[in-house]
Amino acid sequence: MTAVARLLDESRLIVTAGTGGVGKTTTAAALALQGAIAGRRTAVLTIDPARRLANALGLEAFTGRAQRVPTELFTAAGLTPRAELSAMMLDMRATADEMVRRYAPNAEAATRIVSNPYYQAFSTSLAGTQEYMAVEQVADLLRSGEYDLVILDTPPATHALDFLDAPERLLNALDNRAVNWLYRPRETSTRDPGYGAKLLGKGRQMVFKSLNKFTGGPFFEDLATFLQAFSSLFEQFRVSSRAVQALLRAESTQFVVVTAPYPATVREAIHFRAQLVERGFPFGGFVCNRVHLPVSPVEAAALTLPLRAAGVPEAVAPELASDLAGLVADHTRMAERDAESLDRLREVAGDALDVVPLLPEDVHDLQGLASVGAWLTGRGG
Amino acid sequence: MDRRFLLVTGKGGVGKSTVTALLAAASAAAGRRTLVCELNTQERIPGLFGKPPVGPRVTSLADNLWSVNIEPAAALEEYALMKLRFRTLYSLVFENPLVQRFVGMVPGMNDLLLLGKAFNHERERETPGDMRSPLAWDCVIIDAPATGHGVTFFRLPKVILDHVPVGNMHDEAREMWSLLTDPRRTAVHLVTLPEELPVQETLELHRTLAGQLGLPIGALWLNQMPPVWGTPATRAAFADLAEPEATSPVRGAWEAGRVRGLRENQAARYAETLAALGLPTLHLPTLYRREFDHAAVVDLLAAARAQLAGGAA
Repeated sequence: MTAVARLLDESRLIVTAGTGGVGKTTTAAALALQGAIAGRRTAVLTIDPARRLANALGLEAFTGRAQRVPTELFTAAGLTPRAELSAMMLDMRATADEMVRRYAPNAEAATRIVSNPYYQAFSTSLAGTQEYMAVEQVADLLRSGEYDLVILDTPPATHALDFLDAPERLLNALDNRAVNWLYRPRETSTRDPGYGAKLLGKGRQMVFKSLNKFTGGPFFEDLATFLQAFSSLFEQFRVSSRAVQALLRAESTQFVVVTAPYPATVREAIHFRAQLVERGFPFGGFVCNRVHLPVSPVEAAALTLPLRAAGVPEAVAPELASDLAGLVADHTRMAERDAESLDRLREVAGDALDVVPLLPEDVHDLQGLASVGAWLTGRGG
Repeated sequence: MDRRFLLVTGKGGVGKSTVTALLAAASAAAGRRTLVCELNTQERIPGLFGKPPVGPRVTSLADNLWSVNIEPAAALEEYALMKLRFRTLYSLVFENPLVQRFVGMVPGMNDLLLLGKAFNHERERETPGDMRSPLAWDCVIIDAPATGHGVTFFRLPKVILDHVPVGNMHDEAREMWSLLTDPRRTAVHLVTLPEELPVQETLELHRTLAGQLGLPIGALWLNQMPPVWGTPATRAAFADLAEPEATSPVRGAWEAGRVRGLRENQAARYAETLAALGLPTLHLPTLYRREFDHAAVVDLLAAARAQLAGGAA
């Protein structure tokens, strides 16, 4: 049984993580499909703004709600999953609005926030919002009791840890002390007089003036008004953030680090794994995509005669033999590089490594996903 | 190629840094003083010129070629010092932890600082502050963030223009936006791979950048195009070959030719899909090399030049 097959059996949440261009989203979709095939009711959630998953799952478009992959599609692809498969993408705007409605102290406050122009411009890019919301959404999916397994595809990260740090960053951002201190001195000082109030009172005016000089206008002031309203959500956030953190570290959660066999990419993946382990997140294994599998060496000289025997004209056979031997040599060079990369990954992860070969054609439909899934669960070839 | 503010973008992992390096090498070779800006990332560019990472200081990589890894904290310090004039005032304000937290939570602030700093390099003078002295750089090239994130990045000045009615920030944003949308000075280069998902994203990206935002597009770079193997005669002979038995001595070679053919066909299909964009397009061949280093950049540059000489872009 491969590492991934075990994870699909035992986990409730699998998080796929890694840098861009390694086939992460495809891996997430393939895992989800395998989950459904194995009889677990599965949902896959992506927060990547590009609409890749919809394409790969044969869905026209996503809504923010889980959409079931239609049975006809499976049938057309010759697949018979024993449980349903659903897919969804985080609709940033809708989720942000929902988050405000859920956590605002009252409906009026919620409306005030949602109608603020800064909110409209920035709600979807407020640091950490989308990562945080994704995990919240996963928690909702699992709580609903409709799914046995959720696959969470994370956004490609230059700094792969952004995703893990996001909830913390968002909490920091919503900690209203900073905003209140700057723009609501009276309230802060009555509630929190011990907070170096006297010293800060003076500094505050200086800071306030300097910031306005910095922007040359009321930008920060306006923004602060918005952030103040937004930070009224803070307390609720903190409570649910604990739950989110606990979910990410639960025994039934596993992180799969997706990578490709390029030396720099492998280094990043190994670094990411170390960071995961250090922070107490459960590392389930590596998936290495796009691997050139070794092939038997081919000598041009040894090909010429068999090619002639197979009907290649005598004049062309030596040239064709040398061309084809060249193609095999290209492949072999890449296979050697990839083997070294896999060795690196094995050094840190042992058997917790699954390999998907570089496929001759793209994966862009259910059948393709099923064949990737077969590799992941040890039935490929 | 004669524009002086170049931005390179595309989906993650498609080779943005490679194209950035090619544009940089070509610009420097043409005798233009060229600066490459990487934005707060694990540096790739110096490595492609055989040099160690340079960090946040502008550092020479080769003749006429410099690079820098812009960091938001340094950019903020520089900009704030420019506006506040006094370091003590800067320290008092921006080194205050509460202020740092506040600035840190301003959405888009980091991106704005990175873009703003790159923008400042574009208008930088040889003698700082002296508007009569010549421009410091003939060409500034930005290895921009990946798609998704990248669109937010390109949109930033516009968002500020629309939402911050007056003040320094508004004025800066207006200047930035007029540079970004100026086809005489600016070109956005799109990089992609001949694969389903990157191609879909590129079509979407083009709609947003060119269609919605009105940014001038320089060229489309189609990276990792499988080179057409063999000669017409050998390819024709191969096409006539029946599938050999699994145990045949030519099976492995036949398989290699078949797979390569599938890749070629797929790549050609995607190239055709992308041709609908009507952009000048450059194809970069897959290099079957173990290391992607400066020698690889040299090879790819030669391939790009050959296409340019042939009137491709």
